[in-house]
Amino acid sequence: MSTPVSHPFQAKPSLSRTFESGVFWLFRSAAYLVLACGAFVFADIVIKGAPAVFKTSFPFVNTVFLTEAPESLCVFDYEGQKREMGDREFRAFREQEAARAAAEGRKAPEIKATSFVYSAGGIFPCIVGTVLLVVGSMTIALTLGVASAIYLSEYARQGPVVAFIRLAILNLAGVPSIVFGLFGMGMFVIFLEWNVSLLAGWFTLAFMVLPVVITASEESLKSVPKGFREGSLALGATKWQTIRKAVLPYALPGILTSSILGVARVAGETAPIMFTAAYVVRDKLPWQDLQSAGDFFFQGVMALPYHIYVVSSKIPQNEYTERVQYGTAFVFLFIVALIAASSIVLRTKLRGRYKW
Amino acid sequence: MTTEPPAAAVPPPSFAIVKRRLSFFGLTLDECIQVFFGGNAFVAVVVLALITYFLFREGSQFFGQNRQNLTVYRQAGLEYVDFMRRQEQAHTALTRGLFELRMRAVVDLTERQKLSLADANQRLAGFDDYAGRFDDAIGPLRGMVADLTEVATAIKTKFTINEDKMEERQQLLEAGRVAESEAVKVEAVDFERELAPILGTKEAYLEINRALKAEFATLLQRMPPAPTPALQVEVERFKVKVQAYLDTFPSIEANLAAWDYRRPVPLWKAFSAYLFGRQWLTASFWQDWYGVVPLFVGSLMVSAVALFLAIPLGVGAAVYVNQIASAREQRFIKPCIEFISAFPSVVLGFFGIAVLGEALRSMSQVTWLQWLPGFPIAERLNALTAGCLLGLIAIPTIFTLAEDALQNVPRSFKEASYALGATRLQTITRIVVPAGLSGIISAVLLGLGRVIGETMVVLLCAGNRIAIPDFTEGLGAFVQPVHTMTGIVAQEMGEVVRGGIHYRALFVVGIFLFFLSLGINFLAQKIVRRYRISVG
Repeated sequence: MSTPVSHPFQAKPSLSRTFESGVFWLFRSAAYLVLACGAFVFADIVIKGAPAVFKTSFPFVNTVFLTEAPESLCVFDYEGQKREMGDREFRAFREQEAARAAAEGRKAPEIKATSFVYSAGGIFPCIVGTVLLVVGSMTIALTLGVASAIYLSEYARQGPVVAFIRLAILNLAGVPSIVFGLFGMGMFVIFLEWNVSLLAGWFTLAFMVLPVVITASEESLKSVPKGFREGSLALGATKWQTIRKAVLPYALPGILTSSILGVARVAGETAPIMFTAAYVVRDKLPWQDLQSAGDFFFQGVMALPYHIYVVSSKIPQNEYTERVQYGTAFVFLFIVALIAASSIVLRTKLRGRYKW
Repeated sequence: MTTEPPAAAVPPPSFAIVKRRLSFFGLTLDECIQVFFGGNAFVAVVVLALITYFLFREGSQFFGQNRQNLTVYRQAGLEYVDFMRRQEQAHTALTRGLFELRMRAVVDLTERQKLSLADANQRLAGFDDYAGRFDDAIGPLRGMVADLTEVATAIKTKFTINEDKMEERQQLLEAGRVAESEAVKVEAVDFERELAPILGTKEAYLEINRALKAEFATLLQRMPPAPTPALQVEVERFKVKVQAYLDTFPSIEANLAAWDYRRPVPLWKAFSAYLFGRQWLTASFWQDWYGVVPLFVGSLMVSAVALFLAIPLGVGAAVYVNQIASAREQRFIKPCIEFISAFPSVVLGFFGIAVLGEALRSMSQVTWLQWLPGFPIAERLNALTAGCLLGLIAIPTIFTLAEDALQNVPRSFKEASYALGATRLQTITRIVVPAGLSGIISAVLLGLGRVIGETMVVLLCAGNRIAIPDFTEGLGAFVQPVHTMTGIVAQEMGEVVRGGIHYRALFVVGIFLFFLSLGINFLAQKIVRRYRISVG
């Protein structure tokens, strides 16, 4: 034990110092309280949702839940036992029992089942729909957004026009998602007569994330050093050649990683697709029974966020709905979290790699 | 001898590399590419313009339709009956006041004076007689309102049927089926004749009113003394209320006398009925009202709760991370909060339904928290539940932008402050935060924009009751269910007839939200630009 050497500049305990550290603790607790709230929500969904998705036996993942369409759950008493089955399974079971009874010369047993909508089966069509919506809308948004960012960062000179464009981008970022939904309905669904379709959803979502993509792309383009462009131009390359060969390749990783946050936003929004692309329920998968290739774009799909909304507020609540609610929420949160986390990690990595 | 041809032009100099430039419409390839990108740059502007256009395209006819709606309300005599109905309803409210008075008297007598319930009831017998007589007094008026309601509804139905027929005929005409269209009989409603039974009751009404006035005057004088002395104040207050009620009679009579079904409804009425209407009532048998006030109030209340939570937490966390935390903590906290911003709102809404609503309600039943206004909470889903979750949505927005603002405060400010001997806390509260204040305020405004525009959480958790909360309960109003502007669009848009007045009303709500968000955004940018600190 050594007593600290005392010196004249040593911090002395005083009232103001205690007060200061108290205030700092207040700020610290604010920061950690936010984290705790987020962690609590996350943990609740994961803990209650995991049983619907994972199993204790091989293959440890509930494949039915992830690969089949939603169906009604039938609950019935049979031979003194309470059984739960999906609708299709229940019908097969009933026929099988009837056949067995016929073979044994008995009367077919009458099975009375109570059914609960959406409580059995899985969410495969919703996953497919969400993936289709994300891929399509991000393709549109990246095409438009990157082109717009290239103009803003490479060609445009500061002036009233550019200021106006920037103002529009900022304002577009603040428009509520439900307004995008209304706009998509007014323009694509009604005016262009696309009806409730993938295409309408794609454009609505793409317009919604456009500000995110433009801002992210412009930032990445700006972070490519000026020397790259000057070197290329000095060698006699044209402006377009410079952009294509000396700027875009270095900006592209940044553009993509920052845009992933836009992907998370697209995947997570419900309001814009409510009236433009989402169906409450649809039997067929998007690639089944297509009359022509064009029909693919003009069909509505099921989507994860909308499915969560439907199962948590539109159907009667009972003990069996909780499984599908938490299961869907878990899968959805997992997908979105994966996207967001990969964006954050990639960005940190990228910052370390490109240093000029 | 060779003669050289006269050099008409200087021969082009020969380069080792000759490059031919492609050109389209007189533009080189490079210029074309520039034009292409330039065109793309305007996409944000175009989208904003398209949003504005299509919202107005669908919504702008609402005001015409609403005017028509109000015109029918007047012409079919519904407005006339509503004058009387309001008089009746005011009386019902007074009667309810009397019953509440009695309840309190019973509680007072049984708990303070330790009387048995039977004794207490006996003590209140005189009061009950009085209350009964007070309630019965309105009988004749109530009967008249009920009769007239039927008449007015019948006229309105007739009118609606005619409208439908007219539309059918129009459609047949457009389809070129003239003969069939002429077969559709439309009889114009003769309002003069139809309204006769209603207007004929004028005399009878005045008679009833006179009797009512006399009855209330005697009732006022015969008001029994309060059953317990503590309630005497309430009784006096009740008397004042009755007197005020009596004073409204002449104006009601004047309204009824001046009423004329032929008076046109001006267009501004259609606007003001929307902007200041206190009722959003659809698919009702009597009269549909499209007033945005209850929805707007709901949105504001939910946002207020959200900001009340998000401002201290978001700004506090930003200050902590930017000024106090170590570099390692920064690297941990910042991505985590960014991660929270990726939570889909529908998942948070579901969490509110499944967990938070019930948790808040059971917390509100704890005895030592009863001093809080509004506790215990009656409804699981209310403005508070939605507000808490919206707070979690707003925090990352506010945190990120506020942290940026603090980051942009020049280092020299801080160094100068330290050099003058200020402590860390003094430097933060007096120098850094004030210098970044404009950024923080704009962060809060953008957070507000995010919260007002959020749909799924309020749709799932706000309780969806379309009524202005009862503000007489003070802060307790915040635990009542509300409905919001975003929520109503999401909820009702799927169920309305395309092109109908209800459908258009929802689009007008969308227009309202759109301009509200533009306004908030504009204000936020203005504040940043106006109060930006310049380092020089």
